[in-house]
Amino acid sequence: MSEAVLQCIKTRRVVREMTDEPVTREQIEAILEAARWAPSGGNLRPNRYIVIEDAETRRLVRLVSPGMFQEAPVLILICTNMDVVAEQQVPPSDRALLIDVGTAAQTMMLAAHALGLASGPVTSYSKEAIKVILNLPAGYSPEMIICVGRRAPDARPGMRAFKRITWRDLTHWERFT
Amino acid sequence: MSENWVLKEDEAIELLALLISSARIQLDEPARYAPMRMLTATERLSSMILERSSDKSREFLQDNMERIPDMRMEMSDLPAYTEGLEALCRSVAECLLRHSQAKESGA
Ligand SMILES: Cc1cc2nc3c(=O)[nH]c(=O)nc-3n(C[C@H](O)[C@H](O)[C@H](O)COP(=O)(O)O)c2cc1C
Repeated sequence: MSEAVLQCIKTRRVVREMTDEPVTREQIEAILEAARWAPSGGNLRPNRYIVIEDAETRRLVRLVSPGMFQEAPVLILICTNMDVVAEQQVPPSDRALLIDVGTAAQTMMLAAHALGLASGPVTSYSKEAIKVILNLPAGYSPEMIICVGRRAPDARPGMRAFKRITWRDLTHWERFT
Repeated sequence: MSENWVLKEDEAIELLALLISSARIQLDEPARYAPMRMLTATERLSSMILERSSDKSREFLQDNMERIPDMRMEMSDLPAYTEGLEALCRSVAECLLRHSQAKESGA
């Protein structure tokens, strides 16, 4: 395994100001293929990805997404397909479903970073409005949008952390006494 | 008097979309995100009306558009965030006064 993977993980940052330079179809496909390799609870693969490049659709999505600060040339919406969940008799409240969204999201953002692209996740949007705008099938639950593009040269750094942390602050070894 | 129209119908509806979506997502989000949502709407409205606004407002609107994105980064620093909001309150009050004085003088 190479050091490059660790470097990619450590240097990826959420980018909230992007240029309108287009992302190529190959790059989008490479990101989607990476998501396909993300771990999935029970190997259920309930995630479905909606790619939005059309400028007007992106504009409408952004208007109901107060947490989307960037104007990205590509949006990838991660949906949970609740029909698959029902078919496999998985309870809809199973935590694994949202964890699946998380593993796919991080995998896509790392893939984007590896390709020299910028990305940013967004969950602060109205799910109901998104369903209407995209005319989503009834079983699709829109869980997270990944904005993909190129970092604007003068993009501000991300939100400052509440306090500086290291991995040690987050870790406990062995049993609690 | 500045009774000129500064907002188009499309823009007003866009702003409504942002406000309504903000109201909904706020139910699930920490209360401290609420000011940010209001500021996002402020920033968007400022950018929508800047071009058609009079001199009495222009600097204030321009300032909002520059200052608010910087304030977002400071959310975790409550004293700095509070001061940023206090400064916006002062500058909106000054803008209100300019409009009020112009109205009184019939300018
Ligand atoms: C579940 C989740 C939801 C998020 N939602 C948003 C969002 O709606 N808007 C946004 O700008 N960033 C969002 N973020 C990004 C975080 O704010 C960001 O990851 C955090 O500030 C750390 O920055 P970094 O990833 O650059 O280290 C979200 C992240 C996660 C994991």
